[in-house]
Amino acid sequence: MTARNLFIAGVAIVAIATGLWFSLELATPPPATRSATVFPEPGELPQFSLLDQHGNAIDRSVFDGQWDLLYFGYTNCPDICPLTLAELAKARQQLTAAGADAPRIVFVSVDPERDTPDVVAKYVAYFGDANLGITGDLDQIRKFAKGLGIFFAKGREEGGMYSVDHSSVVLVVDPHAKLRALFSAPHKADDFVHDLPIIMARG
Amino acid sequence: MRAGFATLLFLALAACSAQRPPLVASDIDLRPPLPGTQMGAGYLTLTNNTEDPITITKVTSPQYDAVQMHESVVENGIARMRPLDSVTVPAHGSVTFEPGARHLMLMRPTGSGAGVTLHFLSGDSLVLTLNVPGKD
Repeated sequence: MTARNLFIAGVAIVAIATGLWFSLELATPPPATRSATVFPEPGELPQFSLLDQHGNAIDRSVFDGQWDLLYFGYTNCPDICPLTLAELAKARQQLTAAGADAPRIVFVSVDPERDTPDVVAKYVAYFGDANLGITGDLDQIRKFAKGLGIFFAKGREEGGMYSVDHSSVVLVVDPHAKLRALFSAPHKADDFVHDLPIIMARG
Repeated sequence: MRAGFATLLFLALAACSAQRPPLVASDIDLRPPLPGTQMGAGYLTLTNNTEDPITITKVTSPQYDAVQMHESVVENGIARMRPLDSVTVPAHGSVTFEPGARHLMLMRPTGSGAGVTLHFLSGDSLVLTLNVPGKD
């Protein structure tokens, strides 16, 4: 083999190796979520006019500037709602303890009749200091929920008590107030701890 | 409040001299309503050591206006609560009330403390009281 041929062979090997490396790089998919459904395109959050747990008027801009986990429920739901919020709080603690960014927990009442700002304030504070509670006008809540694909319906009243059927998903909202992913029930803190950094790393 | 971890309450269904108690309640976990709310939840496991099914027809509590047996279900992504008229612990079997599933709904507290009374239907109607010691 001449020196020239050797050179050509060398160039070819480097070229093949480089091509292989590029194709491997490109073929490596981003890390996959194990529980969350990530939307291919960020979704627009509907506009709304509601109250936070301190009675302050808020609108969609309350979602600007931080990642949020959005859950619809009601404070007199004794089983599923506190279980879900407790799992979200646990996930937040674990992410924070691991030095990761943890989204804020946002609870939207589907029962504003009983869930006044005062009631919501005590309730969300039970699950952590940084949580946001949203309540207010029922029609506004309906509009907001509908725009997010969230269903709720008040059940039959019996002995002064009623329950409210509601979607059990947890929605992930990015710092630009865009809908990015959803988690379906049953909710486990571990799934959020695993998936949230993956979703949030996509920026 | 988790009162059940240290306590297995052995409930005698009748003046019974059998070695094993006919019904055992364990893992009793009564959670009073969260701050600002009116509804709490109760969880427990009931084990039936007899040859016959034991049916609970009603639950009451001196500390709550009402107690209902409920089941949480998630169907097509919608969370619902279904009231249960009765719950039957099968012969030599057990029934669990646990988070996210079958539970006792403790409605509107009227006093402090925690205790529920399970009312059974098994020939005669029988009333058994779970005395859950202590409160966090």
